[in-house]
Amino acid sequence: MNGSVSSTRVIAITYRVLLRQLVTKGRVIALSLIGGVVALLGWAVGQARNDEDFLPNEIIEQIRLDDAVATVTNVGFTILVPIVSLVFAAASLGDTREDGTLVYLWLRPMQRWPIVLGAWLAAITVSLPLVVIPMSVSAYLHDVGSELVIGSALGSAIGVLAYSALFVLLGLMVKNGIVWGLAYIILWEGVVAAFGSAAAKIAMRGYTSSIVSERTGVDIDIGTLAQSTAVVVPLVVAAFALWLASVRLQNLEVA
Amino acid sequence: MVSVSNVTKAFGDVVAVSDVSFTVGPGITALLGPNGAGKSTLFRMLCGLAAPTRGEVRVLGRNARTDVAVRGQIGLAPQQDALFDRLSALQFVSIAAEMHGVADPEANARRMLDFVQLPADDPKPVGSFSKGMRQRVKLATALVNDPAVLILDEPLTGLDPVQRRRMIELFNELGDAGKCLLVSSHVLDEVARLGSKVLVIAQGRLAAAGDYHDLRDLMDDRPHRIRVRVDDSRRFAAALIDRGLVDGVAIGDELEINTSDVDGFGRGVAPTARELGIRLREVAPVDDDLESVFRYLVERR
Repeated sequence: MNGSVSSTRVIAITYRVLLRQLVTKGRVIALSLIGGVVALLGWAVGQARNDEDFLPNEIIEQIRLDDAVATVTNVGFTILVPIVSLVFAAASLGDTREDGTLVYLWLRPMQRWPIVLGAWLAAITVSLPLVVIPMSVSAYLHDVGSELVIGSALGSAIGVLAYSALFVLLGLMVKNGIVWGLAYIILWEGVVAAFGSAAAKIAMRGYTSSIVSERTGVDIDIGTLAQSTAVVVPLVVAAFALWLASVRLQNLEVA
Repeated sequence: MVSVSNVTKAFGDVVAVSDVSFTVGPGITALLGPNGAGKSTLFRMLCGLAAPTRGEVRVLGRNARTDVAVRGQIGLAPQQDALFDRLSALQFVSIAAEMHGVADPEANARRMLDFVQLPADDPKPVGSFSKGMRQRVKLATALVNDPAVLILDEPLTGLDPVQRRRMIELFNELGDAGKCLLVSSHVLDEVARLGSKVLVIAQGRLAAAGDYHDLRDLMDDRPHRIRVRVDDSRRFAAALIDRGLVDGVAIGDELEINTSDVDGFGRGVAPTARELGIRLREVAPVDDDLESVFRYLVERR
C-alpha cells in the first residue's frame, strides 16, 4: 500500500506544513512594523539636508551616501535582517520540537535532510519579503542612487539565507532558540563584529556590509571583503549549517 | 513483532525505564501503569524517537531509531495533545498519508476520519477541536499508513463513553486482523476491556506481565485495607472477627479493616450489620487506588 517518498516530495510537504504554521498574523504585523521603521528611517535620512552649502556638491552627495550606507548597515543589517530571520527560522523546527509536533515529521519513513531543507525554505519564504522589500525601499528613499538599492537588496537577501540556516540549526540545538538567537545577534553580530574587519569576518554582518560597500564604493570598517567572497561565504555557511541541522535532527531525541 | 531486551533509559540521574524486557506479538497488549511510570518513554524508544541508554529495542526485527523503512510500519498516537493547529483534520491526516507514500492520500485520509467518526469536510482547524476530537485525529493519523504495529499512548483519554466503546471495538478489530497493538493506559477498567494481555509498568520497571484476569486475581488477593463507619464500632469489630471476615481490625472513631478476602468481606459485611441492628454508614477502600496496587506489585517482585 505504501510507497517510497521522494526527497522533493518531502521538501514540498514539510515546506507546506511549516509555512502554514509560521505565518501568524502577530509575527507578520510585528516584523512588518520593524521593516516599516527601517523604510521610514531611510525616508527621514534622505530628506535631511546638510547646512554646509559652502561645500561642493559632490562632497555633499558623498556625505549623504555615507549617511545612507551607515543607516542601511547599522540598522538594516544589524537589526532587521537577523531578527526577522531568527523569528521564522528558529521557530520552523524549533517550535515543533518544543510543542511536540516534530514527532509527526520525524516518525515517517523519510530522510532527514529534506525536512531541514523544507523548513529553511519555509522560513526564507516569509523572511525574504519582510526584509528585502523594506531594505530596498529604505535604500531607495535615501535617494542616493541605485547602487545602494541593489546592494541593500542583495546584502539583505544573502543575510536572510545565511541567518535562516544558522537559526534553523539553533532551533534544533537549544530550547528557547529566540532568546539564544537574540543573545547571538546582540553580542556576536552587534559587539564582536564592531571590532574591525578581522572580527567582522567571523560575523555575518561583515559579509552583508561588504556587499553594500562594494556596490556603493563607501568604505565601511567591517565591510572590507570582495563582493564575490561576501556572497559565496554566507551561502557556504548556510549549506554547512543545514547539513549540521540534518545530522542534529537525525540524532535528536524527540519528545 | 516487538521485542524489548533489558532496556534502560536514563535522563541524567533520573532512570525513567529500568531493565525492562518483554516481547509482544499480534493482537492487543495493554501497557498499564500510573502516570510517570515510564510508559511514554518506552513507547518513544519503540518508535525510535529516543535511544535506550542500555538494551535493545526491535520492531519487526529492526531498530526504528536507525532504520528509516521500518518507521513506515509503525503507527503512533502520541500522548501529547499538540497537532499542527492551523490545518484541518483532513489536511493533517492527508499530510501524514503523503509522508508515508500512501497512494491517494486524501481518499485514505477521508476513510480514516470516517473510521474515527470525524467529518472529513469540516474546514475548522484542528487547533479549535476539543480534546476528544484531537484524540481521534491522532488515531486517524496513526492508522492512515495501515501499519503492522500500532503504538497508542493513552488513546482513550478525552473520549466520551460512546467513542471509547467504538475505539475499543476498532482496536479489537485491528488486533483480530493480526496487527500488533500496544495500548497504554493508567485506568484499570479500560485495560479490562482492551484485551487479556497486560504489561504492568511502575516506577520504570516491569511489575507484572501476563493475562489480565490473572493480574486482576493477584490484585484482588493482596491484603486490602477498608475503612468502615458504624454506630457501634466495638461490637461490630468483634462480630467481624468472630465470623472470620477480617484478618485484623484497628478500632478508633472508625474501623480500619485488614482482609485478604475482599470478596468474602464484601458479601458478609452488610448481613452482619443487619443481624446486629447496627447502622452501616460507610464502607470504603483505603488503598484501592492504582498507585497502591502498582506499589504492591513492585514490592512483591
